[in-house]
Amino acid sequence: MSAQPDIVLAGNAARSAAPIVLQATQLNKFYGSLQALRDVSFDVRRGEVVALLGASGCGKSTLLNIVAGLDSFDQGDLDIEGQPAAQFKQWHKLAYMFQEDRLLPWRTVRDNVEFGLEAQSLSRHERHERAEQALHTVGLAEFAQSWPHQLSGGMRSRVALARSLVVQPSILLMDEPFSKLDPHTRSQMHQELLRIQAGSGATILFVTHDVEEAVVLADRIVLLEPRPGRVKQIVDVPLARPRLPTDPDTAELTRQLRLKVTP
Amino acid sequence: MTQTTTRSVWILLSQRLFLALVFIAIWALAASRMPAFILPGPSKVWSAMQALFATPTFLHDIGMTLYRVAMGFALATIVGTPLGLALGANRTLANFFEPLLSVINTVSSAIWAVFAIIWFGISNATTIFVVFMTAMPLILTNVWQGSKNVDKQHIDLARSFRMSRTQILRKIYLPTILPYFFSGARLAFGFGWRVSLVAETLGSSDGIGYRLRQAADLVQTDQVFAWTLTLVLLMLALEGGLLKPMERRLFRWKPI
Repeated sequence: MSAQPDIVLAGNAARSAAPIVLQATQLNKFYGSLQALRDVSFDVRRGEVVALLGASGCGKSTLLNIVAGLDSFDQGDLDIEGQPAAQFKQWHKLAYMFQEDRLLPWRTVRDNVEFGLEAQSLSRHERHERAEQALHTVGLAEFAQSWPHQLSGGMRSRVALARSLVVQPSILLMDEPFSKLDPHTRSQMHQELLRIQAGSGATILFVTHDVEEAVVLADRIVLLEPRPGRVKQIVDVPLARPRLPTDPDTAELTRQLRLKVTP
Repeated sequence: MTQTTTRSVWILLSQRLFLALVFIAIWALAASRMPAFILPGPSKVWSAMQALFATPTFLHDIGMTLYRVAMGFALATIVGTPLGLALGANRTLANFFEPLLSVINTVSSAIWAVFAIIWFGISNATTIFVVFMTAMPLILTNVWQGSKNVDKQHIDLARSFRMSRTQILRKIYLPTILPYFFSGARLAFGFGWRVSLVAETLGSSDGIGYRLRQAADLVQTDQVFAWTLTLVLLMLALEGGLLKPMERRLFRWKPI
């Protein structure tokens, strides 16, 4: 399970010194009399990639929406960048990537990417420039003037990623962002995402039901169990990068975790 | 690619030309067996048209009709679009007002014209009112349908970027509704144009409808035909010169 313990320990030590940017303490959420989340606690440090892993019905998407400020919670505390979520004002530093690409069909690729900036007061010129730059990062610079319907699923996913990156987020939240892609394109997007994350140092919190995806991407995995949604275990992933699903260590950890995911 | 396109354009053009020729031939044949006051022949109508174009009031009449249609249509847009948006945004409101819409839709334009004469007499308002009453429900219904089709996912996307309500309205609602609005507006414009003539025959002292009735009263059948042809040409010009290019420009993002 630990092929290169030295590297791993060094990495973990550096990470644990980084400040906590997201902290959930004893979060509870009810839908009427139904409890969706019970006493959920976890934290995410700056520059970390953390997965919320669980079967459907464990409230992982609800949890992500709460962190994104798109949903409310009933009890507990949520701190973002050291501030209670209610007082947090810099929402533009937080980007949210949905399960679907949600490109607006009436906008060109570049205008779709610019959409991410339109809630902020930037000049048109600056928006153009940053959109071009984000498209360049995901390798779609020459498709800026295309329409979404002209792109393949993988390319559309890249555009959606560029739209999230264009706000230069310090925290990126993702809700099963690549689950609609074919396996090959998905693992391409994984590598792309990790490359971009290594460059920008952004903190990533993402939701998945795919154990392999969690193991390949995450530094830490928050394992959730359903009815009501609660934390079962928080698992460190002390594997060196890049991780391939076919690597023995990666495969073994995936297998072990699969046994723990309550169906 | 371009060669085949040019070719298909030529084929289409010759087909259209052939259709026009067949139509004129049948018309001429039929006219030759009937008195001119019932069915005037193409040559007679052609000379009537030339005379018509030379009359000093010709442009004034066309202008007045266009002005009334445009006014009624503009008012219908200004009133119908916000109402449609409101109904689309609020289900309770929609359920409450739905019967009213059905009632308005069943009332014939001719009845609106009669009411308009009672209320407004012989004036511009009569025709504008009739066009408005015909076009407004069409635009309202289409905008309403459109706003029901706004994708919840797109709204959530905008919300995730912390966009304001106004921004969501402008950046998500309006572009989604535009195709619906456009097809409603086209229908409304076509209907409005037709009912404006009905209204003008009853309640005005100029405009194309008024001239049509005048010609009919005097049994100047060739004049009636000349006006009809002028109308057809005008509509074709509006369609090809304004509506089609606008549609192509606005909806160039749609997959073909």
